[in-house]
Amino acid sequence: MNPSVVALVVALPLLAAFLLPLVPGSARRVVGPLVLLVLTGIGMRLWDVASVAPVVLAVGDFLPPLGIVFYVDSVAALFVLAVALLCLLFWPWAGEGEHLDRKQSLTLILAAACGGLAVSGDLFNVYVFYELAAVASYGLAAGGRGAAGQVATFRYVILGSLGSLLALFGITLVYFMTGTVNLAHLAELAPKALVGVPGLAAFLLILLGLGVKAELFLVNAWAPEVYATAETRVSALLAGLVSKLALLVLVRLLVLVFPLPGTHEALLVLGLLGMLTGELAAYKARDVRRMLAWSSIGQLGAAFMAFSVPGDAGLVAGIAIALHHMLVKPALFLLAGRWGGSLGRIAGAARRSPLGAVLFVLFALSLLGVPPLPGFWAKYLLLSGLAGQPGGLWWLGGLVVLLTTVVEAVYLFRVIGALYSRDEGSVAADQSATAVAGSGMLAAVLLVIALSAPVLAGTLDRMAVQMGDVDGYVTRVLTPPAPAVPIGVAP
Amino acid sequence: MSQSSLSILLLGALGLVGIGVGGLVLSRNLYRLVLALAVAETGGNLLLVLAGFRPGAAAPIIEPGRAVAAMVDPVPQAMVLTSIVIGVGVQAFALGLAIRARAAYGSLDMDELRGRMEADIDAEAGAPPAASQHAPAIARLAGQPEAKP
Amino acid sequence: MLTRYGALIFAAGFAFFLFVLFAGQPLGAPPMTVGRAVLDQAPAAVGAANIVTSVVLAYRGIDTMGELAILFAASTAVGLVLGRGRGHAAPTAEPGGFILQAGVDLLFPLLLVVGFYIILHGHLTPGGGFQGGVVLAAAFVLPVLARPAEQPSHGAMAWVEGLAGTAFIVTGLAALAFDRAFLAPLLGAGQLGALVSAGTLPILYLAVGLKVGAELASLLLRFTEEEAAR
Repeated sequence: MNPSVVALVVALPLLAAFLLPLVPGSARRVVGPLVLLVLTGIGMRLWDVASVAPVVLAVGDFLPPLGIVFYVDSVAALFVLAVALLCLLFWPWAGEGEHLDRKQSLTLILAAACGGLAVSGDLFNVYVFYELAAVASYGLAAGGRGAAGQVATFRYVILGSLGSLLALFGITLVYFMTGTVNLAHLAELAPKALVGVPGLAAFLLILLGLGVKAELFLVNAWAPEVYATAETRVSALLAGLVSKLALLVLVRLLVLVFPLPGTHEALLVLGLLGMLTGELAAYKARDVRRMLAWSSIGQLGAAFMAFSVPGDAGLVAGIAIALHHMLVKPALFLLAGRWGGSLGRIAGAARRSPLGAVLFVLFALSLLGVPPLPGFWAKYLLLSGLAGQPGGLWWLGGLVVLLTTVVEAVYLFRVIGALYSRDEGSVAADQSATAVAGSGMLAAVLLVIALSAPVLAGTLDRMAVQMGDVDGYVTRVLTPPAPAVPIGVAP
Repeated sequence: MSQSSLSILLLGALGLVGIGVGGLVLSRNLYRLVLALAVAETGGNLLLVLAGFRPGAAAPIIEPGRAVAAMVDPVPQAMVLTSIVIGVGVQAFALGLAIRARAAYGSLDMDELRGRMEADIDAEAGAPPAASQHAPAIARLAGQPEAKP
Repeated sequence: MLTRYGALIFAAGFAFFLFVLFAGQPLGAPPMTVGRAVLDQAPAAVGAANIVTSVVLAYRGIDTMGELAILFAASTAVGLVLGRGRGHAAPTAEPGGFILQAGVDLLFPLLLVVGFYIILHGHLTPGGGFQGGVVLAAAFVLPVLARPAEQPSHGAMAWVEGLAGTAFIVTGLAALAFDRAFLAPLLGAGQLGALVSAGTLPILYLAVGLKVGAELASLLLRFTEEEAAR
């Protein structure tokens, strides 16, 4: 396979986004979905190839430490696939003319940025794609319902920009210490150059900076406001997709560049606090949409805790939690589109849309971690990973996971109870057909995963091993390939 | 250039960051928040350029026929260009949002806007709609106290 | 009042933290790990006398593509937020006085020439697509200040935005046809310092300049329209 295919992951959606406003009439509506379908194909192809060996593309043919590198391992390939599929699932199909064009353009740009985050192997390039994802998601979030959404987005922009500034300080610090931004090159130099307090500080600055999108503790205040005011489609994309890509990037940095003493503990503490505060706030929230937002913060805290476990066990657990959340939370947000209100409002809604209510229960149970569903395995991996570590901090983490599961159970069953209650809520709305269809598709994936869990466990292990293979990463990127034959010269 | 003058460059960049961050945590006016952000970002960009600075070295531009001994690191200069452009885009969008927020709520005060936003969210979530959510859109200038109805 | 002091102390503490952190770094003596290699190789490999341009468009070309996309996303998002529920509001602002109008007429061609000069010499001298693009945007916004009734059409802007962005990506994709990687510079390095040199870099910078110009101009025009509709 020509490695330049990897560049299409970014180039193709961007090209489509630039051209979208110029495509005439009726053809305009098929451009985006078509491109996302092609992207799905590329994702599947990359998955096939990358599960054998990662694909490396030196963009512009400039040898790695000098130019930008795209590196696709199986985790990255899976995320490329997920980006295409989720953007397709949450594609803005309907809306008023010119605004629909803009939303479609922004969704394509979001897809390009997320694809770029998944494959990029360059610290500053990651920052650029992160900002691209940020601007696209600001635009989508502000395109929602009315002025409250615009105030929420403004607050999000300010917090996000402050985060970007912190990340930029971290990158500057890394550049001061090493003189490079290539991840493989950094991984090679890190044991000598990125050490001590400055190294840890650089990690923390980048962590807090890029953690804004990953709903990390301290910088996640935007999430409930934005998710409560944006279109459900957008909330689903932000909570399901963008947060995972930010998480993926941070984990790549942790594994490759910052394996310092202290970084794992920092991640653990921030994840632990995120989980605790998120789940408690979800318990206190009185309407479903903000409850889901806070629960998303809690779940991402769990993912941070999982990734804080050193070694492959942590990566396995983290990837499992992230992928599970990527399936479950968008579906729940989709269902919350009509059932986003207070509990009194949705009382008895199960009688109006029995299928919607069953889907809600299914996803809620998986989120909680009820045994045959994938959520159980994700939590099990997290707990066993935490228990495998020496030291009280990790055990405390395990305790928090168990405790918050109880809290989760309380608030999720409160909603389920309301859905099935005998009372008639003030606006017990029918579930929309698109929400049921969309979450039905995600439910099918969830059930397939539940049935094939033993097979998938092996795949997950292989993905984690590939992701944790620092030496392999460095060798593959920095070893120059066989000298290229100049154009027009016979070999 | 001596070490002390390098420290002045560093202090200048970080001074801008301090002013900007101070403005971000102190301001309640949306426009000032955007300005504070711009100042802080300028400091960050200066710091990034400083990462490639070498005293006495030339700009990384080759002039044919003139040999140059030392040049500064070109990579941070390219990165800072990117960073500046990103800042411009984000700030323009933030200003657009501020314009809309003022048109809808008649205020640029963050605390007030936040209260109105929370009220709107609560109202949408199920509380009975209040009699009037929208006060008359008084075009208030930055910093002027609000005329209470 | 307490929170105000707390906030000030926080800001000062943050700046002090950064100072301690960065004062310990090799100020004025950067490691130049990648920078040295770029300085050595770029003139021969890329052929741009301005090495920063080599980095911006060749070594880190993907970053630049991302930047263009960020500007496009910002301008699209501003359109989404501001261009809402309004027919073509007749601008109410008065036309500018004679001096402003005459001055703008005089400046317009000069700004165009300067803008394009900066863009086309981006691979030789300081400047390039971003700097020149800003000058171009100024050239198209100034007339609106003088004669608010004569707004340039958003349709034309959209075409320039779309086609310039497409030109950048298509130039990048063209490398695939020659069995090179995405965004590899084509057409050879040429003679260092000549106007026609550095392969496809001037083409890329022209695309960047036009895109930045159109993007910024449409952003600024949206704000002036918003002002006029008030």
